[in-house]
Amino acid sequence: MDQNKNVLAFVEVVDGKPVNVGLESLTAARTLVEGTDEKVVAVLIGSGLDDAAAKVAASGVDKVVVVDNAAYAAFALDAFTNVLEQLIKKCNPAYVLAGNTPLTKGLLPSLAAAFKSGNVADVMSIKKDGGKIAWATPRFGGTVIASEVIEKSPIQFATIRPGAFEKPATAAKAASIEKESIAVAADALRTKILEAVKEMTEDVNIEDADIIVTGGRGMGTPENFKLVEKLAEVLGGVVGATRPAIEENWAPRSRQVGQSGKIVTPKLYIACGVSGATQHVSGMSSSKYIVAINKDEEAPIFNVANVGIVGDAMKILPVMIEELKKVKAEA
Amino acid sequence: MEILVCIKQVPDDSVEIHLKSDGTPNLDGVTKVANAFDTYALEMATRLKEAVGGEITVVSIGEDSVRDALKNCLAVGAEHAYQITDAAFDGSDSMAKAELLAKAKAKLEKDNGKPFDLIFCGFEATDRASGQTGAQLAAVLNAPLITSLVDISSKDGKIVAKQETDFGYNSIEAATPCVVTVSKPEYDPRYPTIKNKLKAKKMPIGAFAAADLGVDASKVGQGAALTHTVSFSEPAQKEGGVKINEKDQEEGARKLVAMMVEAKAL
Ligand SMILES: Cc1cc2nc3c(=O)[nH]c(=O)nc-3n(C[C@H](O)[C@H](O)[C@H](O)COP(=O)(O)OP(=O)(O)OC[C@H]3O[C@@H](n4cnc5c(N)ncnc54)[C@H](O)[C@@H]3O)c2cc1C
Ligand SMILES: Nc1ncnc2c1ncn2[C@@H]1O[C@H](COP(=O)(O)O)[C@@H](O)[C@H]1O
Repeated sequence: MDQNKNVLAFVEVVDGKPVNVGLESLTAARTLVEGTDEKVVAVLIGSGLDDAAAKVAASGVDKVVVVDNAAYAAFALDAFTNVLEQLIKKCNPAYVLAGNTPLTKGLLPSLAAAFKSGNVADVMSIKKDGGKIAWATPRFGGTVIASEVIEKSPIQFATIRPGAFEKPATAAKAASIEKESIAVAADALRTKILEAVKEMTEDVNIEDADIIVTGGRGMGTPENFKLVEKLAEVLGGVVGATRPAIEENWAPRSRQVGQSGKIVTPKLYIACGVSGATQHVSGMSSSKYIVAINKDEEAPIFNVANVGIVGDAMKILPVMIEELKKVKAEA
Repeated sequence: MEILVCIKQVPDDSVEIHLKSDGTPNLDGVTKVANAFDTYALEMATRLKEAVGGEITVVSIGEDSVRDALKNCLAVGAEHAYQITDAAFDGSDSMAKAELLAKAKAKLEKDNGKPFDLIFCGFEATDRASGQTGAQLAAVLNAPLITSLVDISSKDGKIVAKQETDFGYNSIEAATPCVVTVSKPEYDPRYPTIKNKLKAKKMPIGAFAAADLGVDASKVGQGAALTHTVSFSEPAQKEGGVKINEKDQEEGARKLVAMMVEAKAL
């Protein structure tokens, strides 16, 4: 068999659009092939993929492979695993990448198992070290970064951390789009999606937001949490929340920032009544400018803040809201 | 319903881990606890068992300290506990761990004459957050896999899993045997009663070594691992953070806004 080469990047499509981290994974893929004649091949699986395919084709890839079939309208893990397994066997890539999402988190390890190889999860950066690729991945909630290599395997798998790589710039020349029809044997499908329930309709995607105002347990009551909403509104930003705030139902789960929520990298992140537990900080510490409001001088959130203020959020937020209204009116 | 729950012991995730001068993570004095997601998995399994009957077995690969984690599991829902341990297992990667868990499952099924219907894993472990072992165990067992559960029920020999998604949830059906990985459900794990704690203290914890499982020692452990950690580092610190600590908080708030404007953060 020929030696494995090229990068195959699976780009997840939701509601007809490629997800951000899927596009970001294409930048990671480019890093891998830079300075070689190897190619970046993006793979899309789903139903009604024309728009998404056009967008990915203009994202600096060399080729887009589209598996478009009504059978793949929903992300069914065993179907997607099986389709990708067939594609990988066909293309023999040296690397298989995907953006790290709750769904690809089941996909890539399964594929790595099928090809008896390794998978590195949540890659933050990639270094070429001689002939080896060193994948950087967070440990212990992000206070430590481990550099990992996969050896003795012709193919390597990795998922890319949201926000770790920039989205690719729109390319002048779009890559070619190839349609593949790949069927999955009925007996390979052993789970059945009975119902896909959307609880959050018309909700914003906080991963896309430039400004996020997050409220934590320290906001105390649903009424007080409204101050967080108000500040977000004045700034034209969106509301984020810590896990305890979500559990109190002050905000929907789609707004959770952190290890078991979203990883966000806005230009401005304001944390109100948030202690700064590692599980939260790992999801927001790459924000460009971080403001912390906490009554406890020792709160760890201050360690990651560009500017922090020690005090009662219920006193500070109303003043900030008024002051910022003035600033906005002047601008 | 016969249920197997895989428990990983991890450093207490409320402690911030930093590097020692030799460049390795400083875990000295950090208590080891059951991975949070595994405690959620055990709670979900226990609720299912209470609804439909059956027994829960917990297994953990690791050194003797994992017996403490297993004891705690026996106090909050598990009936049986086994430690999977052998010097040959040290440094195993997730594929090797999946093989070991599969071998332990097969041995327990043979010894007890009863197959497991459901295998629970955590969605990920808080130390590495890689979340691979469960998916790879499903691959090794050639069993269906459902990830990120926030609830589960069983009906007519099938299970229905509630899978968390970014937008709500999926309701997914599968026949057993099936592997599931658990995220954070709406409920919290129960605390053991004193009575159950005392009872658990007296319950035996079995141990399986390579020979018991019929494992080829050359296929597990550091030597067989494909993925290796070559170095550790710490993320760059935010430098020059400013802390405003004024008696007059409103004055402080105005100062804060002025600084945000100056930094062009808006
Ligand atoms: C496996 C696992 C995964 C997790 N995933 C996540 C995750 O994705 N996201 C997440 O956020 N958490 C997550 N957590 C929970 C995390 O460990 C923390 O418990 C959580 O982040 C704390 O939230 P908090 O800061 O809102 O609350 P607390 O830690 O209770 O902090 C409240 C803060 O508010 C301050 N405060 C109180 N009153 C006021 C006031 N009037 N004005 C100003 N400040 C005030 C207090 O000083 C305190 O610092 C996870 C935990 C586990 C075990
Ligand atoms: N050493 C272990 N012993 C038992 N189960 C494990 C072990 N390591 C991982 N697991 C299971 O696999 C899940 C995911 O772990 P990981 O792949 O390390 O993120 C954990 O939540 C456990 O359920």
